[in-house]
Amino acid sequence: MTPSVNGNPLRDPRDRRLPRLPDACALVVFGVTGDLARKKLLPAVYDLANRGLLPPGFALLGFARRDWGHGDFADMARDAASKGARTPFREDVWERLAGSIRFVPGSFDDDAAFDRLVAELKSLEESHGIRGNAAFYLSIAPSAFPVVLKQMQRTGLASDAEAGGWRRVVVEKPFGHDTASARELNELVDDVFGPDSVFRIDHYLGKETVQNLLALRFANTLFEPVWNSHFVDSVQITMAEDVGIGTRAGFYDQTGAARDVLQNHLLQLLALTAMEEPVSFNAEAIRNEKLKVLRAISVPEDKKSFAIRGQYEQGWLAGQRVKGYLEEADIPADSRTETFAAVQLGIETRRWAGVPFYLRTGKRLPRRVTEIAVLFKQAPHLPFDATDTTELGHNQLVIRVQPDEGVTLKFGSKVPGSAMEVRDVAMDFLFGEAFTESLPEAYERLILDVLLGDATLFPNNAEVIESWRVIDPLEEYWAGTSPERYRAGEWGPAAADEMLGRTGRAWRRP
Amino acid sequence: MTTLWDTTGTEVVAALSAERRAAGALAFGLALTLVVVVDERNVKAAEQAATTAAAAHPCRLLIVVRREVTAPEPRLDAEVSIGGRLGPGEAIIMRMYGRLALHAESVVLPLLAPDAPVITWWHGDPPERISYDPLGVFADRRVTDTLHAAAPLAALRQRAVDFAPGDTDIAWTRVTPWRTLLAAAFDSVTETPSAITITGDPADPSAALLAGWFTDRLGVEPSIVAGPTPGRLTSIALTLSGGDLTLTRQDSRTAVLSRPGQPDRALPLAESDLGDLLAEELRRLDDDATYGDALSAWSGLPDLNGRSPQREHIWRDPMAPAGAGAGAATAGTAG
Repeated sequence: MTPSVNGNPLRDPRDRRLPRLPDACALVVFGVTGDLARKKLLPAVYDLANRGLLPPGFALLGFARRDWGHGDFADMARDAASKGARTPFREDVWERLAGSIRFVPGSFDDDAAFDRLVAELKSLEESHGIRGNAAFYLSIAPSAFPVVLKQMQRTGLASDAEAGGWRRVVVEKPFGHDTASARELNELVDDVFGPDSVFRIDHYLGKETVQNLLALRFANTLFEPVWNSHFVDSVQITMAEDVGIGTRAGFYDQTGAARDVLQNHLLQLLALTAMEEPVSFNAEAIRNEKLKVLRAISVPEDKKSFAIRGQYEQGWLAGQRVKGYLEEADIPADSRTETFAAVQLGIETRRWAGVPFYLRTGKRLPRRVTEIAVLFKQAPHLPFDATDTTELGHNQLVIRVQPDEGVTLKFGSKVPGSAMEVRDVAMDFLFGEAFTESLPEAYERLILDVLLGDATLFPNNAEVIESWRVIDPLEEYWAGTSPERYRAGEWGPAAADEMLGRTGRAWRRP
Repeated sequence: MTTLWDTTGTEVVAALSAERRAAGALAFGLALTLVVVVDERNVKAAEQAATTAAAAHPCRLLIVVRREVTAPEPRLDAEVSIGGRLGPGEAIIMRMYGRLALHAESVVLPLLAPDAPVITWWHGDPPERISYDPLGVFADRRVTDTLHAAAPLAALRQRAVDFAPGDTDIAWTRVTPWRTLLAAAFDSVTETPSAITITGDPADPSAALLAGWFTDRLGVEPSIVAGPTPGRLTSIALTLSGGDLTLTRQDSRTAVLSRPGQPDRALPLAESDLGDLLAEELRRLDDDATYGDALSAWSGLPDLNGRSPQREHIWRDPMAPAGAGAGAATAGTAG
């Protein structure tokens, strides 16, 4: 007999035409009326349904403090899905999904509401055959976690054994605001669900290019031999946004750029860039390697020079005048929260000793772009006249995470003509804007992985704690300082440029 | 777009590089070359499908239309475009007249993207033996569509006789949505069904391949009974000890799954258009062993996957009297 998957003879590991479908299950979303649920979650669920990637017995359950019936929620979800879906919105696909949408009204401290939720899941067992399988998506403020988790514990919602199937929980950043609070939060969630059932979403890891970074490094012979301090001069990881803080004033002013972006997205990108080869491509092996890198990160001693914060002032961006951070609604006039952070980190391993990793993130920068740039050392000897190579910079390998997902390789080339003149040129690989129209959105991929129980693309609690270990001393130092100013529409404060200028380097303009 | 009348292969190559320079897309990410072999009357449908597929997979599209092999003078007309009506990539349509049609590879070979896989797709009657068509011999993947043959089941049997790993048939692609739902429904089944009934068209190669798949995977040979609509797969029933597991097509987008002891479920079962089917074929560039096994089980020809994936071109002149000279002469002798 030919090989099969999970004892199902109709599944052949060689048969890559058949997609992986999760078991029949329910996706329960807390805070389903929130921004994230409307803009990302519900459209992603629709897209999965439209691609035929949801199992026959899939049900979507909303929980929120609204006086709604199933139909009201379905209408709201329809509205969200038709606005946010990547794939064309089709009435018949929606009809089918709408038949499996339920809503449970109530507040988080209402025992009766959670009892109704339990009853609803029970009834789905009958009607959808979900066999106790459910994933709980906590799209709620972390302050609400304790009460929700306590309710789940009380009603047995979180227990695999009591449910007779798998129970998983999905949490979003922020995972705390420092090491202590993150540890507290982790213990709370891990305690209720068990560490293996907790999925922490960092949506950057769901992006194709980020996964492609692993393929680029570990499936090729070309790059890995030079992926170390012998050849790499420095690494720059940038995540820039052109938008301001939008409607998140309250949250943002408490948090700041370092906690909001540096702690999670940028450190995860750094870990994937710098990690050793995992022994296999499974969740545990990859997380182990990432954790080793995070543990080896060193924070600069001279924080004044190598840990820069900035705050945007009013300026012009994309042809429009924009307000400064302090003039934004609901921001205190004396706020010292940063909207830009740039830091130089080291990785104390044999592979990376002496290679600075420059991380920067900011709001109201000239354009929205995320990229990882590996800058190589200059050739130890150039057999040309010095004047021939004045235009030659560092060789660079740039992984463009978004937009224009792809890879750029920069190297020197002769300028055509009778003189020997070498100048930088770029070789581009484009995942292709023209070809990506049906590429899955990060949330789609991650929700599917949760339902399949594949934790490869989710950081675990140890990674979160280690990331805070890096951020805490920075925050501690920054607490007594005021952020530098930069005009909206600039690439950050001058101090960030000086940080690299000190060693004769410069930021790459993304 | 450049249109060339009564041209040569060299001029087509030159026109392509001129177009590439004009488009400024010199570092195009070319993952593969798709060669489409099609008759004049099917060109529109093939163009449309190839455009859809090319939007999902960056490729160089070469459409070869063979016309009037009997024309006294060989002649080549070509249309070269980048990012035009044929999708975002590079596309060349070539019409070949006279004896040139028998030597299409002389024009196509220099146009293949360097060192990228080649997929050849015959939209229409596939050649009796792929070795007879040089456009199939150099391809890494060969895609036929037996549904378009005059006698589909005979054509499918011929595909089995002529099979080499890397061959697939669109009739197989058409049942992927059915197989997806059945495999998912079967995740929770632990027994082997005692009987399987496929209701559809006994002359439909897709139903035949589905039957072959069941025979190979479950060891149960399904019976195919005629359904209400010719050429259309209507339902599949697996007899289990607790009752029948049936998947029945409801309309062009939905099917209903009924299982013993569970409420019926409506599931997506879209009828894909040709472009989606072709895109699915472009997704995999290695051989489809599951297809080989299903074809083997249906045709009774053992171990199709064990055959050599290499083919050698066999020169055959369709204008020569039947039987005379087949396989004897070599390519390039005709003029």
